[in-house]
Amino acid sequence: MSQQLASSDSTTREKREKLVEVRDLKTYYGDSGMFGGPPVKAVDGVSFNVFRGETLGLVGESGCGKTTLGRTLLQLEDATGGEVRYDGTDITELNSDQLYEWRRNAQMVFQDPDSSLNDRMTVGEIIREPLDVYEWETPADRRDRVRELLETVGLRPEHYFRYPHQFSGGQRQRIGIARTLALEPDFMVLDEPVSALDVSVQAEIINLLEDLQEEFGLTYLFIAHDLSVVRHICDRVAVMYLGNIMEIGPTEELFTDPANPYTHSLLSAIPAPDPTDTAERITLHGTPPNPRYPPSGCPFNTRCPARIRPPEYEHLDDEVWQGINTLRDVLLERKRADRSIRERIRERLGRQTRFATVEETYDELFGGLQIPANAESSIEQIVEHASNNDEEAALDVLTEEFGSICESEKPEYHTVSETGRKSFCHRHDGEHRQPSQVLEERY
Amino acid sequence: MSDTQHEKPMNDEEIRTDGGTDTGESFRQRVMDNPKPGAIWLTVLVLLIAPELGRFVDWMLALGGGIKFIFDGFVAAPAWIGSNFEDSLGFVAGAFATDITALLMLFVLAALLRGYLPFHPDTRLGLDLSRSRRVWFERGFLTTVFAAVTAVLVFTPLGALLRNEVGFYVGVLDSIGDMQTLISRETIPNHGYQTPAGDWEGTFLGLSPRYAWLTRFLLVWVYAAVFIGWLWQGYNVFREHYRAMDWTPRDDVIDRLRSHSWGVFGIVVVLGFIVLALFAPAIATYPIQENVYQPYAEDSEFKYFNEESGEVEMAHHGDANLDSRSQGEGSGTVSINEYDEYGRYAPLGTTPSGEDMMTHIAYGAQTSLTIAFVSITIAVFLAMLLSLASAFYGGIVDLMTIIGTDTIISIPIFVLVLMMSVVFSQGDVWIAEPMDGGFLLALIYAFAYMPGMWRSIRGPSLQVAQEEWVDAAKSYGQRPLAIMRKHMAPYVMSYLIIYGSLLIGGIIIVTSALSFLGYGVTEPTPEWGRLISDGRNAVATESWHVSTVSGAMIAIVVTGFNALGDGIRDAIDPQAEANATGNAGGGA
Ligand code: SF4
Repeated sequence: MSQQLASSDSTTREKREKLVEVRDLKTYYGDSGMFGGPPVKAVDGVSFNVFRGETLGLVGESGCGKTTLGRTLLQLEDATGGEVRYDGTDITELNSDQLYEWRRNAQMVFQDPDSSLNDRMTVGEIIREPLDVYEWETPADRRDRVRELLETVGLRPEHYFRYPHQFSGGQRQRIGIARTLALEPDFMVLDEPVSALDVSVQAEIINLLEDLQEEFGLTYLFIAHDLSVVRHICDRVAVMYLGNIMEIGPTEELFTDPANPYTHSLLSAIPAPDPTDTAERITLHGTPPNPRYPPSGCPFNTRCPARIRPPEYEHLDDEVWQGINTLRDVLLERKRADRSIRERIRERLGRQTRFATVEETYDELFGGLQIPANAESSIEQIVEHASNNDEEAALDVLTEEFGSICESEKPEYHTVSETGRKSFCHRHDGEHRQPSQVLEERY
Repeated sequence: MSDTQHEKPMNDEEIRTDGGTDTGESFRQRVMDNPKPGAIWLTVLVLLIAPELGRFVDWMLALGGGIKFIFDGFVAAPAWIGSNFEDSLGFVAGAFATDITALLMLFVLAALLRGYLPFHPDTRLGLDLSRSRRVWFERGFLTTVFAAVTAVLVFTPLGALLRNEVGFYVGVLDSIGDMQTLISRETIPNHGYQTPAGDWEGTFLGLSPRYAWLTRFLLVWVYAAVFIGWLWQGYNVFREHYRAMDWTPRDDVIDRLRSHSWGVFGIVVVLGFIVLALFAPAIATYPIQENVYQPYAEDSEFKYFNEESGEVEMAHHGDANLDSRSQGEGSGTVSINEYDEYGRYAPLGTTPSGEDMMTHIAYGAQTSLTIAFVSITIAVFLAMLLSLASAFYGGIVDLMTIIGTDTIISIPIFVLVLMMSVVFSQGDVWIAEPMDGGFLLALIYAFAYMPGMWRSIRGPSLQVAQEEWVDAAKSYGQRPLAIMRKHMAPYVMSYLIIYGSLLIGGIIIVTSALSFLGYGVTEPTPEWGRLISDGRNAVATESWHVSTVSGAMIAIVVTGFNALGDGIRDAIDPQAEANATGNAGGGA
């Protein structure tokens, strides 16, 4: 299914009807202001469309905000900003009555079939609940409909009076799917629907979902971290990192010819299907930054393997670059950390604090490395500022010397192929070399 | 779960239960199809109830009386508020306030009952309202209906008619309640007198009072055991023949509880305690009215054989009590299993004021049970409401409840209860009257224990609020109250049952401690703690039984409730459940 649609995608896409339009959507957590502190920016301004009848994949590492995005689309989370247009209506603006009316259009399949079914209710009651909420027909009709739905998802009508406990994981997921189908929605958010299942069962559930899509003309947003599943089922894919969509486009194209450095590194993490493929793996250093304090500029700049470097340092040793990046993290951390008065006093008295001294950090990062003279002097300058507890100045020097457009400016979405694939990276702006070239060279 | 790792959805072998092809006829249909087991069970139940019908009706009437007490309180509220307004603002304001209060109360009732409306009045009227408008419309509609009914009842003779009607039926029930039952003092009397020849007059079959009482006592327990056993049998019949489900998660809990001997001990003790309270009139050696409440009334006179004069004479319980006081050295102590000078048999001896201990213990169980039951019910209800709402809404609601309950928790519970009971009992308020302060005490406990209860279930509530099925329910627009009731409450309830049964023990002890200090339940309502305190000076004397027996009773009952709580906790065992679901995940 996916291949077929993907190939015809380029020609028909423009004509296809947009079912969901997301514009600059933001979902922040914990910005109630009660306990201060900046909010967690789980989704930080994303825009994309979902076309009627397609399957849009949403991939990314855990914690990148993909689940939050899916939940916001269904108004299970309140959007902090931006809009979600469903069939033209902005659902973030609906009042509770309108939202109630709207909800039957869009449903969610949850990740964990153990947790998504209330196991004190019978299967029949579970699937019936949405029908009860909307007072669908008569109670007798509802019971019949539930039996029908059970058959639709490959279970049996007499399972009506069983409890979820009596079913295996795959069967429980089928029950969950039957529940989402009850109200005949058009749009379904599938939140990693198979990741909690046994591998042998995964394929069956995926096939069921594909069959249902065909039968009922459903539109899917398929959230996953398993790229092979995504490649199999999705027509288009959006790659998410730290609350931003890094790249979005037709599946096959994106998989065979990734544009964004992040997509490159994600894909190189999956074992190559072709053993003769000798391309070296790109390993990402460190962990994704805290979404409470996302980096300035490009969200990926702390880990990007293709980060734009100042020309004079372009050929600086990779390990030195790593050291510089870590040093920057440490400085940012120190700047943020609210040092208590007691700690400041201890510091004055020359006692140990919970912060390692800058000299220690320096030794750890750069000890034994060959550093060119110009870089060395800059680093030393930074360290000196830092040891005077002036992180501000240290960071200024660091940005000045080693920073680039990747830190100073947010990238834009550049169209990178005729199919309208978009990538969120400065390297497509024509002034810099393309990510693939750089990565080739660096790895 | 026995599932294999592979999923073959069309293959029923994986599914845990044996067979079961029920596709869901209604309960009635299933009974019609196979009426025999149900009919047999019902017949035996009727046969079991028949000889004790009067007692069952009495219990119903007592329950009805309790409900009426609460109902009357509510009914009196509008007029009471109105009269307050009238005092300060004049007649019109008073009447107005009365009406407004009454309407408000009807509105609350309407809001509670709205969900049970069998149809939507707005669609009948051809209105097409949005969901929240419809809710308000229905509330208003019901309030109007209720107000109209109330007005008709209050302002037309219909009300009086209805009152007469109800009064008539209550009268009928009363006379049924007065019917002699099989296991009663009338059928098996134990209070008689000895003739000069040494025979017993007036007792059951001429047995000595000791054996007459023992017969009745044992019969009570046999009857109760058979009856409870038959109820259990009823559950089994239902489970086997009429339940649509072959298996429910509760079956496992019950099975685990049954094989938990400590828990079973708890069940037995708790059931025994309840039977003791419910059958107090039959278990008590003498009618409490004659022996304790009105010992000098006309009815409280009885015949006895006076050994000195060698003749049968008359005496009041009151006078006889004075000669049978168990107050230690030199008093007329009547110890366990002894007769007093008036030929009265005292299975557990007498109290320091000469009243019968067995009567005190049996009716004291009623006191404790009522207090515990009322307070735990209120506390559980409030704690449930608070914890679910705060877990569901989180944020500011949660914070408010934490602050509110922490304030109460910060006061040691005993000090709080003591303070409140002193304030209220000095204030001479009307709620201090029922059960000589027992009802008031129950309300105080509910207030004092609720915060702790809420805190203890806050964790589980927050946890269940995080479950995906709650999100799922939100995603198809289920109302918050329905989510709390269907998707959260069942999980929290088990914790509340455990905690509640542990708390009942605490409540019994605190009640006793209060009585010990001279607060709490005052005379003459029987109360175990007061017995301990009354008898404590004589523990080292021949009157040792007063404090010892009552103390032992408290210890046993409290242990029983704790055992029950432990048993339920182990039966529910979240750990085991987690493992079970883990397996059910099909090797996830
Ligand atoms: S903008 Fe810079 S840091 Fe971001 S992905 Fe492109 S090259 Fe990497």
